[in-house]
Amino acid sequence: MSVPATSSAPGSAFWHRMRILAAIIVSLFFLFPIYWMVLTSFKQQVEIFTNPPTFFFTPTLATYKEYIARADIVRRLVNTVIVATGSGLLSIVVGTMAGYALARIRLRGAGTIGLLILLSRGVPPIALAVPMFLVARKFGLTDKHITLILAYSTFLIPYVMWLMRSFFLSLPKELEESAMIDGCSRYGAFFKIILPISLPGLLSTLIFSMILAWEELLFALVLTNRHASTIPVAIAGIAGDTVNGANWGALTAVGTITVVPVVIFALLVQKWLIKGLADGATKG
Amino acid sequence: MTTDTASRRIAGNDGAGNDGAGSDRTGSDGAARHARRHALADLLSRWSFLMPSMLVLTVMLAYPIFYTLEISFSSFDLASFSADQWVGWDNYREVMGDYRFWESLKVTLIYLAIALPLQVALGFGIAFLINAEWWGRGILRALFIIPMVVAPVVAGGMWRMILDPLWGIANYWLGLVGLGPLDWFGDANLAMAAVIIIDTWRWTPFIVLIATAALLALPKDVFEAAKIDGANWWSTLWSVAVPLLVPVIAATFVIRWLGAVKMFDIVLAATYGGPGKATNVINLFIYEEAFRSLRFAESAAMAVIVLILTMVLTGIFLRGSRKLEELF
Repeated sequence: MSVPATSSAPGSAFWHRMRILAAIIVSLFFLFPIYWMVLTSFKQQVEIFTNPPTFFFTPTLATYKEYIARADIVRRLVNTVIVATGSGLLSIVVGTMAGYALARIRLRGAGTIGLLILLSRGVPPIALAVPMFLVARKFGLTDKHITLILAYSTFLIPYVMWLMRSFFLSLPKELEESAMIDGCSRYGAFFKIILPISLPGLLSTLIFSMILAWEELLFALVLTNRHASTIPVAIAGIAGDTVNGANWGALTAVGTITVVPVVIFALLVQKWLIKGLADGATKG
Repeated sequence: MTTDTASRRIAGNDGAGNDGAGSDRTGSDGAARHARRHALADLLSRWSFLMPSMLVLTVMLAYPIFYTLEISFSSFDLASFSADQWVGWDNYREVMGDYRFWESLKVTLIYLAIALPLQVALGFGIAFLINAEWWGRGILRALFIIPMVVAPVVAGGMWRMILDPLWGIANYWLGLVGLGPLDWFGDANLAMAAVIIIDTWRWTPFIVLIATAALLALPKDVFEAAKIDGANWWSTLWSVAVPLLVPVIAATFVIRWLGAVKMFDIVLAATYGGPGKATNVINLFIYEEAFRSLRFAESAAMAVIVLILTMVLTGIFLRGSRKLEELF
């Protein structure tokens, strides 16, 4: 698996070592902030505000204990899980079917619909947030999980649809053709033949959709206030809380709680995730 | 195009098989009715794949957009919380005359003009640089996922702490090399630089991953031919690899553009638009106008202007990106 463009660098052995060194330095830059956040979350308040900053200290769970109880973090965490799972599942089901339709089924006008949906990925969420808030208020739908789930589907369905469309296009047509000649219905071919071999692609798309829903802020800020409020809203509140000064203990603790499960999740499926990302960018 | 003929063939086979079976059992009149019913069922089954998403997106996307349009041409009644009287272009005229609107558009443009080329260039540069063959390459690639799964609001808050003028570790290190401490969030230019650094930190790994995948997908024989012709590393890079990568670079630029026009969370957590209005990107400005000042009609007009601007530019970029155009 050599990459010709880069492996034939000038002077080989020395340059090879220099590039490995560069790779390590670059990744340290990208990983250090997260390391620093997690580290800070285990510090005592007095250790956070020291100059020079401390790297070695006795770790404590004090911040976690204090803020998990006070800032209503558990409920917001549960809300975030509900909304991310709900919108991820809704979008994967609906978006995969649409992606299949656009890839394989002849439909009059489907090309235009597909183009419109692709363009919808460029709609700035703020243009939707104002009317969504007004409509939700009118129908008494603010601060409900279902409202956020549906709001998130506006950006997740187009994402899933285009990713799965390119995935289906990469499958050989003979798969469904022979199944349908053998008397399988269109749904039969889709569920029995196509979906099983698409599982890796489906899983990575689902997980990335859930991550996108997990970290969304604007709709959550606008459409919820107490009952269905999510973790990013809490973090925005802590980060913007300038009245009490910089509350870095809370910020790093809640930030770590938000990031760690997603990172573990992402690392577990990283192979599929990278492939899905690359396909999404280069094909859709 | 090829898929269309394929699915037509599938549909044709499907239809022919069943129609044949039907006409064996019934008379010619019944066969026609059966065929018609079958054609209808087939049409329904075909559209049923696309219908659910069209329904959800119409309700959640098309309806809000039309409602935004309506509000933008109306006065807004705060008592009933809905669009009141039709006022024509009044809201648009007011918005266009508001210097704060133009300021926030300018801030957004500065951010886009610096951040996007920087991220694409850095991403592809790093991919070229680090793509050496060694045992740690796979691990690094996996770790590079982490910055982009960090929620933007977390990234904003986290970097605010790192860049803090008094206690931040970045300023401590900058001080060690004689640069600082810098008042990142008190100075207009530095605050914009901070926002761009945070955004670049979050997104460059994503571009590195795409660039790496694109590099791996390049045809190897071209490079072998270049090597045989005696081309050195640089000329191979510039005259062979880069031209082959242009479509992917363009596609990456479009993807980042689509993400960057939504810029909101990072500024909210890191600078809240400040100092002054130095980092007040258009999305934050509209948000503030709508939900703090309760000027819904004016913010709807702004949202419509931003929507049209974004759509026009996205259309132009999509057109410019050959790789994406293959889809249509």
